[in-house]
Amino acid sequence: MFFRYKAYAGRIARIDLTSGKVTKEPLDTKMAENFIGGEGFISKILWDEVGPETDPFGPENRLVFAVGPLSGTGWPVACRFEIGAKSPLTEAYGDTSCCGYWGPELKFAGYDAIIIQGKSDKPAYLWINDEEIKIMDAKNVWGKSTSETEEIIRKEVNDPKAQVASCGLAGENLVRYAGVINMRRAAARSGMGAVMGSKNLKAVAVRGTKDVKTESTKEFVKLMDEVIEIYKKDFYILDRIKFGTPILVELMNEIARWPVKNFQTGVFPYAKEIGGEKIRNEYRIKDRGGFGCWATCEKPVLVKNPPYAGTYAKQPEYETLSALGARLYIRNLDAIIHANELCDEYGMDTISTGGTIAWAMECYENGILTKKDTDGLDLTWGNHEAMLALIPKIAKREGFGDLLAEGSFRAAQKIGKGSEKFVMTVKKMEIAAQDGRAQKSMGLAHAVASRGADHLKAFPLVDELGREEPIKARFGDKYLPEMAQPLSPKYKAFEIKDGEELCALCDSLSLCKSSGTCLPLSTGQIYFVDMAKVVELATGMKLTGEDIRKAGERVVNIQRAFNIREGLAKKDDALPERFTKTPAPEGADKGHVVELDKMLEEYYELRGWDPKTGLIRKKTLEDLGLGYVADELKRLGKLPTEA
Amino acid sequence: MSRRILYIDPLDCTGCRNCEIACSYIKEGLMNPQKSRIRVVREGATYDSPVVCRQCDNAPCASVCPVEAIEKKGRIWVVNAQKCIGCALCVQECPFGAIWLHQDKGIAIKCDQCGNCVRHCPTGKLRFVDPEELAREKVAKGLEGQAEAKEEG
Repeated sequence: MFFRYKAYAGRIARIDLTSGKVTKEPLDTKMAENFIGGEGFISKILWDEVGPETDPFGPENRLVFAVGPLSGTGWPVACRFEIGAKSPLTEAYGDTSCCGYWGPELKFAGYDAIIIQGKSDKPAYLWINDEEIKIMDAKNVWGKSTSETEEIIRKEVNDPKAQVASCGLAGENLVRYAGVINMRRAAARSGMGAVMGSKNLKAVAVRGTKDVKTESTKEFVKLMDEVIEIYKKDFYILDRIKFGTPILVELMNEIARWPVKNFQTGVFPYAKEIGGEKIRNEYRIKDRGGFGCWATCEKPVLVKNPPYAGTYAKQPEYETLSALGARLYIRNLDAIIHANELCDEYGMDTISTGGTIAWAMECYENGILTKKDTDGLDLTWGNHEAMLALIPKIAKREGFGDLLAEGSFRAAQKIGKGSEKFVMTVKKMEIAAQDGRAQKSMGLAHAVASRGADHLKAFPLVDELGREEPIKARFGDKYLPEMAQPLSPKYKAFEIKDGEELCALCDSLSLCKSSGTCLPLSTGQIYFVDMAKVVELATGMKLTGEDIRKAGERVVNIQRAFNIREGLAKKDDALPERFTKTPAPEGADKGHVVELDKMLEEYYELRGWDPKTGLIRKKTLEDLGLGYVADELKRLGKLPTEA
Repeated sequence: MSRRILYIDPLDCTGCRNCEIACSYIKEGLMNPQKSRIRVVREGATYDSPVVCRQCDNAPCASVCPVEAIEKKGRIWVVNAQKCIGCALCVQECPFGAIWLHQDKGIAIKCDQCGNCVRHCPTGKLRFVDPEELAREKVAKGLEGQAEAKEEG
């Protein structure tokens, strides 16, 4: 099999679970040039094949697993893979990302992406073993937890090196925020586990033994070594190695950016009890990382005291400590670690799980929900036992858990009574652990992210801690000092646009954002020009920094176009009133709201989108080589009327 | 000349497989963990460790080789690719599973202690160590543990 560019496998597999037919298609050169890989491929495939008529749970929905050109090359922190489909949570563009070993294994098996469509008539899993792709009977793993599933499948296929990405009970039961788990790492957001469940697909197991070759290997390895030297000295990476993401608990509490009591306030008085220092000193056993990882965020922990005593394969990430901790006013770290484990075993996104329970707790606080509604559970803030009881109920859709399995937006629609005002979502997805009032750029990031409330589509880190060096390194002095000030809305539209393009590339190249690429390394690396160089050395594709930035912009725009086609518009780029109308009650951001309208207008203008409607201008699409997208939007009457 | 083994404590190993990556590039000029001379095993909640040739004094792989393709160069056992017939007797006899056949060439491959993996271990803990020295470290660690137990006592 010959593909023009090295480092790619040059091939996409398509599996129709209805007919059982497996086809292997050559990768289109133009697709590689324009959409790079990973998330870019997912965006293009979903635009081409999934429309407004597609039910997220219907057999016609596409479930795409994809990696980028750097996957399997051994490039530092290029360990990720992406999963995409029309999301059952947002009913719009959905994708999610995960680290570990699964992604590189797919590349070694010889595929850049696999497209799964249709629905199996009985529980099945996929076994991709180099050339062989088989639809297997999942009777022994259906109903099993994700770790049990991995173990059983590795035995069934008789290969201890098979990598298994599976959905848990939550996915089987179509919990709208069910995730996909591989080796305790989670592709959590957007409900991709539920899409698997809807297709009767329990897992995708993969094993590969093929070579991954690079174009200019000597220079590629040399650059790899140079980047490693930067990593070794960078204080962000050193912090990741020492603590992982939990150290953000202390840092974010300090700037009052925490989602305490469902975002009622940004300060949690008990932050130290569930923070990074405590986990490191009292729980951490060792460090772990995925393929080619230099940051090792994953740290197995030991809980010493009953009732949750035991060894756990990973510490909760910052997001989980927020969602299952501060967001619920829970300060029992043992219980949070246990809850994290339950979410992994049932295959649930901890952010949406915590966000939905937080909504229920606030309804309970206000008398909208009572013990009659909650199966007798006392949903008082801080009741960790109630949280632990709810997680399995949600996964199994039992009693009150059935309502929560729909996510907070739909649950509130169902019960009404004013519970809607406690829903902290954007595009029906629960907002991650960043209160935009304390960091304005995050407010905008959440509002405009294609997959719904999310920090990782733009990952605005350069202003997070008010550091000027990375901004200087990337943009010079022209945006200083305001861009570095988290409480200033100035230049944040530009920061988000730039960040979205950088993040789209990370997810298209299979790079980890949290360890190196988006972190404000003092040198400003790794930025577009560095990415272009890496890609050229790996693949032979001639690209400038501007070319590759444009590819990122293309990915952002095609996702936007997908959402526009689904009926989304400016009204959906909105934050709950708590962020835009209620001033922050205490801490560093006291008195602040998110000045969303102002930032949004500036953002649309920079993007070439119509500020009145949020629709994409025809010229913007054409300049990105997306004329065919413009044509379809025109046909649907979804281009802005030019003044 | 004293013997050295390639060693990392499983609690220090992160399972990141950067050693496999470094090995594959230096030996093969491409990326394929199957062709690395070092392979990382991950088990359960906390165990990660590379599987790699231990340079046994009385090496079963060398003893069993019918064509004497596993030769001692200085203190290191290396496979003579010209002699190797790919019979896999060495694979069969190695008690650690630390030697295997190159999937394309069909000849035995194993670690020759070139040290590229050591240079690329993010933890800095993968190292060459004299078994005598390692034993001394273990004794010291054991004593430390006993002293702690006494204090807590």
